[in-house]
Parts: sequence; structure tokens; C-alpha cells
Amino acid sequence: MGGPIASLNPLNRADGSASYKCVSTGSNILGSVNAPIELPGRRDALKPEEATIEVFVKPGTAPGGVGERYIEGVIRNALGRLILGRENGYPRRGVVITLAIVGGESVGRGGSYLPLLPALLHTAALALLSASVPLSMTLSATVLAVDSSGEIIREPSVKDAKAATSLHALAFTSKGQLLLNESEGAFDFGTWETVYERALAICHGTSTLSSDGDVAMTENVDSQPLEGVLRDTVQDQIHSEYAWKIDAA
Amino acid sequence: MSSPLILLPGDEVPSEYLPSKSSAPLRLGHGLRLLSQPHPTPGSTPSNHTLTATQPGILSTDNKRNAVSILSSSNRRYIPTPNDLVLAQVHHSSADYFHCMITPQSPHALLGQLSFEGATKKTRPMLKQGDLVYARVLSIGLGAGAEAELACVNPATGKAEPGGLGHLTGGMVFDISTGMASRLMKASSSSSDQQDGVAGLVVLDELGKKLEKAGGFEIAVGRNGKVWVDCSNSEHDAVKSTVAIGRCLTMIDEHNLNPTDQRKLVTRILREMKIESS
Repeated sequence: MGGPIASLNPLNRADGSASYKCVSTGSNILGSVNAPIELPGRRDALKPEEATIEVFVKPGTAPGGVGERYIEGVIRNALGRLILGRENGYPRRGVVITLAIVGGESVGRGGSYLPLLPALLHTAALALLSASVPLSMTLSATVLAVDSSGEIIREPSVKDAKAATSLHALAFTSKGQLLLNESEGAFDFGTWETVYERALAICHGTSTLSSDGDVAMTENVDSQPLEGVLRDTVQDQIHSEYAWKIDAA
Repeated sequence: MSSPLILLPGDEVPSEYLPSKSSAPLRLGHGLRLLSQPHPTPGSTPSNHTLTATQPGILSTDNKRNAVSILSSSNRRYIPTPNDLVLAQVHHSSADYFHCMITPQSPHALLGQLSFEGATKKTRPMLKQGDLVYARVLSIGLGAGAEAELACVNPATGKAEPGGLGHLTGGMVFDISTGMASRLMKASSSSSDQQDGVAGLVVLDELGKKLEKAGGFEIAVGRNGKVWVDCSNSEHDAVKSTVAIGRCLTMIDEHNLNPTDQRKLVTRILREMKIESS
């Protein structure tokens, strides 16, 4: 299973941008962040001490609808816990995140956005990092499908997701706390627990599961934890930007 | 310190990277915050404060000033900070203030009609819409939604300090990234004879050498990602040289060139534009 392919700053004029391609689900997202910007007519915002976060999800081929509005709200709530909206220059300004679905199978009208949610979250997080928006920590997310035989499929393709009995999208902060938990379909608590353990291992590696040797072995096959992939992407970018400083030292 | 430390938001700054203990308090710069642990574990070290990063970037420490900050991504948006030198464009004027644009997206910054060197109620500069000023950020205001205030004069001495603040005539403005602007500022404020130049930039020294015969050039770098170039001394080549300098700076910014490539680029662009160089 190949890891995701991510790059920072593909767009020139945005304050921060990222493109993210998840190989296994086939989704390809382009995200941009503009912050801090003036929001017209928002000077009497509900929380004047904080930045207003706006998320837009643009499907590739169709105009946005109810499904996009719903997932925008989910992403906004998750990112709102990470963005430090009270830092210098941010109160009463806006943080505008635009996520365009540029590749992969598009979500049909009324279709579920859960398989795309991790890619959307990762793109948003990378774009925020490249725009240097103050964050309390970073995030990593994954989606798991449970099929009728109780087997867990990591980052299912569209066909697998349709066939699955339940779908679970989970996001973790870089400190390992559960940030977001969206599930659909029929499942019981036991299933959710195993899904949670597996998702935590995918995002953060196996160190948390040292007691259970068996699970740890299977996760090692899963390639690098997602948290590390994001970190490497950002570090590579900073390395190339500050090559003049690093080489001189 | 061997390798530079790259931090992501939420990462703690290891204490061995901080400037060595001295009596002066540690100054926290851009991109860092102090977190206190509410429940220190018994038996742990007495300090229950941790420094964490809020932006991705390289940790930079200054032992002399006992300061620590994060150098983050170079094309972020400019946020005004007191004492920054910026290039502002007058948008309109009112009874007491010129309303200036620092970046097109931010609200107008205020520049007092009298905050110029030697300005009085009778003799004050008459700036029109679109005029450029090189100014210092005096204050950014308190609280949410406050406007930044600019000044072209040091309020304590009444002089334009450092020299060059005020109305800029002629020349042309080029857009660069904010990271490039701060590098250029470092490079132009201190000249060195090093092979690699200051902050990895040799372009200004190189251009200065090549265009010396043609009359040299003037440059003003604004922290808001703008650079003003003027070659009015070089008579008939003035426009060509100005554009050439601007092209050099934007190209180096865009492609992140190293000193050797910077020298090559300068030679190539001057040759392409048929500017006589020495």
C-alpha cells in the first residue's frame, strides 16, 4: 500500500496551499488558505476576540450542495480546535480554507463524504501550515471500512466503501488525542474499539500498542504512520526554503 | 548546535536549544508561546513551563539578545509589527491622516499628515492618491480590528531615522515574498566581503558592481513584501536598469537561487536587456 503524496505551495497567489493525493482511495485534493483577511460586514462577529474560520468544499464536476455544506461544518469544527484565533493579527479577521476535489471518483448527490474526509482534513492542515497560521498542534486522520465479515479495510476505495457495513473516519491531534469521530452504518461498541485502535496505529505508529504484539506486527506492514508523512512534507519544504541558511551553518 | 531544528505546531522546544542561562529574561519572538502545566508531576523538574511552537519553521536563537523565535514559511501574509519598515501606498487623505495601503487585503493604515521630517501645519507634504511612502510601523493598535499607525519620522528626535523614510518619487515597485523581503533587508543593511554574501544573497553586491558605471541604483525594501527600485541617475538606461533589477530580484525569489546562480542570472539578464555593465 503506497502512502499519500503531498506537496506544499502549489499555488502562487494564495497565502498557503497544499495538494494531497491519497493513493488507496484515489482522491486528489487541492487546498488553499487565505489568512488573516478582512471579512466584509463581519465587524460585529459573534466572537470578536477570535478569528472566524470559513471552509469551502468544491466538488470537481457538480455544484456544491447539502452534502458539501455538512462536511464543511465537520471540517470547520475540527480545525477550529487547532487554530489559535486569538494570536496577534487574527481577531475579527477570517481564515478562509478552500478545498477543491480535483481528482478521483466524485461524490454523487447525497453520497457520503466520509471516505474523502481524511484527505480533506490533511489538505487543510498542510495548507494552514504552509500559510503559517498559528496552530496549537497538527492533526492526522484516516478512514476505515468494516465489511460484513468484520474485517477492517484501511482507506477503502469507493467500491469497498459502498459494500461496507460501517464506515468510520477518525482524526487525531499530533499529541494522540481523538479530535474527530464520524461514523455511519451499523456497528457495535466492540467494533468501534478495534477500529479506534487500528486508526490510532495508522496515524501514530505502533508504540501505543506495545502490549499486543500481534497487532503491532500487522501495522508495521502498513508503512509509515500518517503523522510522520505530514511532518516530512513540511520539513522538506522548510529545508528547501531555508537552504541558504542551513547550508551556511 | 549542529543541525537546525525544525518544529511543527505543538512541538516543544528542547531546553538545550535555548540560549544559555543569563540574568536577562528570555525574549519570545514570533511563532512561540509559553504554556504552563496546571498540575506539575511531583518529583519532576521545578520549571513547569514549556515553550511550544505555533508555526512550522526553523528555531532561531540569538544569544546576544537572549531571544528565541521561529522562522516560518517565506510566502506567508504580512502582519504589521511595530518598528517594521514598510512600503505603503497612499489611498486617500483626510484632515489629519493619509490613509495608506500596506497590503491590498488589510484595512488602511494611518499616516499622520505631520509625521514627516520637518513637517508643520504650514509646510507639510502634499501626497496624492497612489504616491509611495517608506514608513515605519509606529503601533498596531490595541484590541481587535484596530488600525496600524505609520510614521516617517522618529517621534523622539524629529528626524527621519533611519535615513530614507518619506515620500518616494520615481522608480518602480516589485512584489516579492515576505521571507525574501526580510533577507534583502538583512543583506542591504550590512555589507560583507564574504563569498556567500549576507543571508545567502549576493545579488545586490553583484548588481551594484555591474551598474556602478551606469550610475548605480537606489533600493528600498518593505517588510510587507514590496521592493522599490530607482535608477534615475543612469539617464537613458534608467528604465531598462530598473526593470532588470526587479527581474533579478523576483526571479531569485521565485526559484530560490543560490549565490552562484544569482551571479549567473544577473549577468544573463543584463546581457539580455543590453545594459552596459562594467
